[in-house]
Amino acid sequence: MAILSLAFKSLLNRKLTFFITLFSIAISVTLLLGVQTLKTETNSSFMKSISGTDLIIGSRGASSQLLLSSVFHIGNTPNTIQYNTYKKISQSPAVEWAVPISMGDSHKGYTVMATDLSFYDYFSFANKQHLKVDKGAIDDDMFAVVIGSEVAKKLNYNIGDQVIVTHGGGEIEGHHHDNIPFYISAILAPSFTAIDQTLIISLEAMEAMHTDNHGHFGALPGEQILPSDNHQAHSDHDEHEHHDEAIHEEHADHDEHEHHDAAAHADHDAHAHHGHQDTQEQRVARLLKIKPEKINAIFVGLTSPQAILSMQSYVNNYQAEPLSAIIPAVALQELWQFFSLAEVALNIVTVFVVLVGLLGMLSIILMSLNERRREMAILRSVGARPGHIFGLIIGEAGFVCFAGILLGVALLYLLLFTLQAPLASYYGFYLDINMLTSNDWFILAIIQLSALVIAFIPGWLIYKYSLSDGMSIKF
Amino acid sequence: MININNLRFAWQKEPIINIDALSIEQGQHLFIEGSSGSGKSTLLNLLGGVITPQSGEVEILGQSLNQMSSSQKDSFRANHIGFIFQQFNLIPYLSVLENITLPCTFSIDRKQKALSRSGSLQKEAIRLLSALGINDPALIKRSVNELSVGQQQRVAAARAMLGSPDIIIADEPTSALDNDHRQVFIKILFEECEKENITLIFVSHDATLKHHFSHHINLQELNQVSIKEAL
Ligand SMILES: Nc1ncnc2c1ncn2[C@@H]1O[C@H](COP(=O)(O)OP(=O)(O)OP(=O)(O)O)[C@@H](O)[C@H]1O
Ligand SMILES: [Mg+2]
Repeated sequence: MAILSLAFKSLLNRKLTFFITLFSIAISVTLLLGVQTLKTETNSSFMKSISGTDLIIGSRGASSQLLLSSVFHIGNTPNTIQYNTYKKISQSPAVEWAVPISMGDSHKGYTVMATDLSFYDYFSFANKQHLKVDKGAIDDDMFAVVIGSEVAKKLNYNIGDQVIVTHGGGEIEGHHHDNIPFYISAILAPSFTAIDQTLIISLEAMEAMHTDNHGHFGALPGEQILPSDNHQAHSDHDEHEHHDEAIHEEHADHDEHEHHDAAAHADHDAHAHHGHQDTQEQRVARLLKIKPEKINAIFVGLTSPQAILSMQSYVNNYQAEPLSAIIPAVALQELWQFFSLAEVALNIVTVFVVLVGLLGMLSIILMSLNERRREMAILRSVGARPGHIFGLIIGEAGFVCFAGILLGVALLYLLLFTLQAPLASYYGFYLDINMLTSNDWFILAIIQLSALVIAFIPGWLIYKYSLSDGMSIKF
Repeated sequence: MININNLRFAWQKEPIINIDALSIEQGQHLFIEGSSGSGKSTLLNLLGGVITPQSGEVEILGQSLNQMSSSQKDSFRANHIGFIFQQFNLIPYLSVLENITLPCTFSIDRKQKALSRSGSLQKEAIRLLSALGINDPALIKRSVNELSVGQQQRVAAARAMLGSPDIIIADEPTSALDNDHRQVFIKILFEECEKENITLIFVSHDATLKHHFSHHINLQELNQVSIKEAL
């Protein structure tokens, strides 16, 4: 004990080098733990992107591609699933719920996702949390759009604002569906998933935009005469409408149910939503209320987890069209493996940072040895054993490292607490601040232990010195 | 109380010490002279049990150092011997008081003796310092770096005397002092050692100090080793 207090006083006598070593160890500890935290946090936020969905069904292809497009809204899969297939699957006995997803449009760089209202009931993320509405209310109006928190914040949108959707992902080349404006009915609370950067519309509205598109192409001969047909006389539009109707006549009798929907919507129109005037196209679309022909993906919840594998193989061997089904949790895990190389590289770098910190400590102790040989000789003369001298060095290294670790952990939490808010607001990344994990403790123990082991080098040197110097002080 | 028999010691096969017999009585004040490199400091290290002779015997207070383990020798040294060196006797990061009471860290015996003498280590340190001519009790809290060399040597002497060890070994303690201080220092050291009945072994190549001592030996004469290089 007395030796430890001597070690401590000796350290305080060398404040400058002590603090330099202390900070180099502290910073390396902060870096190491910070990287660990970031790793687990990105992993968990990644894994939290979707939950409660047992299967995601898409057209046959790479599972990672399906996952990326349907959950992270990155890239796109062809929308080739027949709407009929969706219906078939949703009626199969093992399926508790199924939500159709269609993508391909964007708004100022943000993904526009079309689905139906059941999405809000069934889609969940993180700990089976459902999407929450921050402002406004989810509206079953055909041209209502629900926007993610990021979209609202970055574009400064409010309830009731008009939104024009662009065909295709890009902001530049896409075709603007400006004859079908949407109005914002709800802004979602942040979920820290891709939904925050997404606008959600109804499938019918998406179909309306696209048939409108077809309409233009259909009217191409007419356009030669009257180039800007978009804002033309009604008669021109009427032509389109008839055309549209003609094209989608076949869809109209898909299902009795759809007609019913359309009827219900006629009532809605009477409410004169938010004082918005429907355009011709919108009015027609409301009347037709056509479900899309094809969709991109289906989110499926099953009646029991035991059904997952059999349902998956049923989907994978689906006769009518090539489909594939992925289990989100498994696919997420697989996708995460992609990052494992970067993870390993990051780990190696941080381990070396810690090593450099410890080597810095070693060199500083080694440099102090010569000037301390006199100190050691004095201690020997008053009865200190070579073991005490050895302990003095080990104790010093142990103390410096321990203090460095404490400071490093304090710095880490300081950093986490200061970064939490900016990370969430600027990057949509929610940093969960937790206690140190057992892995962290293990790492810290390893660092402390390595410091002690490294200190054996100067300890052993001074032990040898003190044996050969004896009490003679020659310098 | 100190008996040396056929003591032989060599640093890396270079013989330094070869003493057939030497005995020092209890309470004796012994002056050891010898030119530089004659092995004076080496002999003191042998007496302190810090280095081990190749052959021969060192017996102190009836106990043979040869028969002790090295850690036994270390605690024996802590309990029975106080050392004063030429210069830089003190640990720079400890206060005057902490330097003086340093032997108590390694010897419970000496701590007990110091406590029974004055009641507290601090009082004992102040008592020793004033006996050595430093009468300012506030000095005890000061850093040793703020002291003059003469004061430092007296602090070292106080440390060597704390807890009344049986032997004080002084290796050229006065060579950093001017002549006046040297005489005063030796006088005070003598008085204190006499009072406590401490055996004093004093090494110096300064022959002018010889007359203060009742006994003296010349290591070059006693030592059977032919010194090749006398610096
Ligand atoms: N640690 C050591 N390792 C090797 N040789 C040593 C060591 N210490 C002393 N010597 C050698 O032993 C011899 C005696 O040295 P020592 O220090 O005992 O002389 P000394 O009589 O005390 O001289 P001085 O009066 O200068 O202090 C010298 O030749 C020296 O080179
Ligand atoms: Mg010497």
